[in-house]
Amino acid sequence: MTPGARTGLEIGGAIIVAAVAAVYLPQLLELFALINATVWVSMAVLALSLGLVWGFGGILCFGQTAFFGLGGYTYAVASINFGDTTWAVPLALLLPTLLAAALGYLMFYGRISDVYMGVITLTTTLILFKFANSTAGDQWNIGEAPLGGFNGIPSTPPLNFPFAPDQQMVPEQIFVVAVICLAACYAIAKMVLRTRFGRVCVAIKENELRAELLGYDVRLHKLALFALSGLMAGLAGILFANCVFVSPTMFSLSYAGQVIIWVLVGGIGTLVGPVIGCVLVQWLTTYAGTLSWIDPNLLLGVVFMAAVLLVPKGLLPTASGLLAKLTGRGAA
Amino acid sequence: MDYAAVVALQILSGVATLVIVSLGLAVVFGMMRVINLAHGEFLMLGGYTAVLAYGRGVNLWIALLILPPIVVGLVGIVVERLLIRRLYGRMIDTMLATWGLSLALIGGVTMLFGNSVTGVSAPLGNFSVGQFHVSVYDIFLMFAAMALSMAVWAVLKFTPAGLLARGTMQNAEMASALGVAPDRVYAVTFAAGAALSGLAGGLIAPLSGVVPTMGTAFIAKAFITVITGGAAMLTGTLTASGLLGSVSTIFTFLTTPVFGEVALLIVAIVLLRLLPRGITGRFLRRSL
Amino acid sequence: MTTLLSTEGLTMRFGGVTAVDGVTLSIDAGELRCLIGPNGAGKSTFFKCLTGQYKPSAGRIFWRGQDVTGRDSFALARLGIGIKTQVPSLFDGLTPMESVGLALRRLHGEAESRRRARRALDRLGIGALGERRIGLLAHGQRQLVELAMVVAPEPDLIILDEPTAGMSAEETNRAADLIRELNREHAIVVVEHDMHFIRAIARKVTVFHQGKVLMEDAAGRVFADPRVRDVYLGKAVA
Repeated sequence: MTPGARTGLEIGGAIIVAAVAAVYLPQLLELFALINATVWVSMAVLALSLGLVWGFGGILCFGQTAFFGLGGYTYAVASINFGDTTWAVPLALLLPTLLAAALGYLMFYGRISDVYMGVITLTTTLILFKFANSTAGDQWNIGEAPLGGFNGIPSTPPLNFPFAPDQQMVPEQIFVVAVICLAACYAIAKMVLRTRFGRVCVAIKENELRAELLGYDVRLHKLALFALSGLMAGLAGILFANCVFVSPTMFSLSYAGQVIIWVLVGGIGTLVGPVIGCVLVQWLTTYAGTLSWIDPNLLLGVVFMAAVLLVPKGLLPTASGLLAKLTGRGAA
Repeated sequence: MDYAAVVALQILSGVATLVIVSLGLAVVFGMMRVINLAHGEFLMLGGYTAVLAYGRGVNLWIALLILPPIVVGLVGIVVERLLIRRLYGRMIDTMLATWGLSLALIGGVTMLFGNSVTGVSAPLGNFSVGQFHVSVYDIFLMFAAMALSMAVWAVLKFTPAGLLARGTMQNAEMASALGVAPDRVYAVTFAAGAALSGLAGGLIAPLSGVVPTMGTAFIAKAFITVITGGAAMLTGTLTASGLLGSVSTIFTFLTTPVFGEVALLIVAIVLLRLLPRGITGRFLRRSL
Repeated sequence: MTTLLSTEGLTMRFGGVTAVDGVTLSIDAGELRCLIGPNGAGKSTFFKCLTGQYKPSAGRIFWRGQDVTGRDSFALARLGIGIKTQVPSLFDGLTPMESVGLALRRLHGEAESRRRARRALDRLGIGALGERRIGLLAHGQRQLVELAMVVAPEPDLIILDEPTAGMSAEETNRAADLIRELNREHAIVVVEHDMHFIRAIARKVTVFHQGKVLMEDAAGRVFADPRVRDVYLGKAVA
């Protein structure tokens, strides 16, 4: 099978899974569970965005939530002011992309190495977290939208159909939109990685100096990939804002850390892995919350330590390695 | 005039706090290139040790200064043995594992002691500068920060263990060729770093109160201070604390505490852009 | 004859140390030049200045008469300079076909890149390894893969930094043959300190000593010169 055919098959598979989920889950799940599922899907988009930039660009971003939160906040503020979500969405995609591009410019053109990149991105999301937390009171209204400080913006409006402000979507429709977005992000990431640009990004992750000596502008490639991932994280923020509402938590250290966990548990260097990791960890978190005899944080913490020690490559690569061994093909 | 003196004291106390909460992390990162994300929870354990011991009638100063480093140092030995040792050289995995540890410690302590804030009141009372009151304990913390830094410096500089540690830091293979097991050095270093974190927890407990999640308030700041400081762990931490602590305190005075923290973070970003290897990556390179 | 690459008073300082000190030299099209000198003579620093990894403290670099001082590595590579580093610099997670393909993909379409990559690997005798993972290859094979990546885009000038480092005597001989063969189509600069290897390939030699050019002449005369022997034996130059 050629690589091109393989990519086509994988995208096709993702579309089928998404279609099945979009058709059947709204019928199967109760409203509360469905909204919860939408949250998970929005988180999965966030996980995918980090999986792309970290697994294929070698860029360790600790503050993916900066773009996530900014997307959410922009969406909320813009749609409250416009009274229509049609233009709020592109604006909420644009701002995180620009923030990512600006940060990327600062880091890549300054040739800052990975640990420091981690600190800078983490710091960015913490700045936004502190800022958003301090915006209680009337002096922090943007147009008609109060930023609301610690409480966030509970009145975040749900998506409406394009150019029809009075036709707001119901949770079932928003779930379908979220699933479509996840599938689209996956397909876009897969296709980008097939292009020359994508392959140069992977090569840069492998060996930056060599890519440079072959005549590729490493900084520009990293910047573009980082901006793309910022855009996807912004999209995740919009979706999240649609099923919960925006609040400073979106920027918080615990969210920022969780995204990294999802990707690591699922497997760096894959795109499906982060999605699986996200869903599994979310499920575990929810499940742990229902147990009375053990603190959920304790359970989660122990599971993460065990995961690092026992499946350091992440679940998906480990599982496919095992599968390859079982079917006797060897690890190629 | 009084006001200026009080502001100056506040700045010094902000810097001192930053030094105290960062030092344990700096030792572990500087010597082992391990980023311990459970550092905040080590502080928290130190704080709980102090509060619980005091509550059971232990002398306050023993509860604040002696017990926390011992208890958390022991915890550090266990953690190094079970977790860190298996992940040497895998920076990211170590971060993830210690993040898991951080969650587990928060969860465990919540199960044991509940989720409410407890504390000890700051000893030593206040004194007055003009119309302002200044806590004597703040002054005590400044001296504590100085004493701790000097102790770390003296250990590194003058003791055989410090020499060994510096050697391992420079070149682990060379040190092991000289017949020193890097494992042992790392184990002792991690325990020492943990003990410092525990002591920090004891020291700040009267100011911050203790609660299972208190570590999260410190980890990001400590992490940023240490990284901004760069390779030389002591000089780096001191200069970064000096700079970041001053900026954040000044902005706190001018605006609000929130913007003080925001200013700290922005300065850290700008600094890293200008000095991509941290302050001591560029200046004072030969220092400890 | 056209001058491809030249430097004028190129200087590189690190703190108080001047590693390269006012080096002026020029490489013509079709030339095969060796830069030699004992360890610490400044060859490798000079190499890194030429390839954009260091920005020189003073002096100029010209490519076909155009000032290219301070350009980034990728921009220099795009001018038509192929660069092979001392420690093989490779994409360990990729295959040789993918790597060489990537080297060509900047200039050619997908299919053409594959065709040329195949040809480059065959030319270097590693066609059979095209689909292996580079990380799994032996040291000598890795050297050849890197060379294939450098040669495939047909650069005007190839700069090789200590190409025989870590090679056996037999491998060194083969590398010498290979470099002579490559020289039929490309100008080549070899930075080296293995004298046997240089004897085997060199026509014109530039000798570095303490960051400066000690002498520059035909290979035979350089090797006969007492100053060069002194430098290699560690005696101070009078």
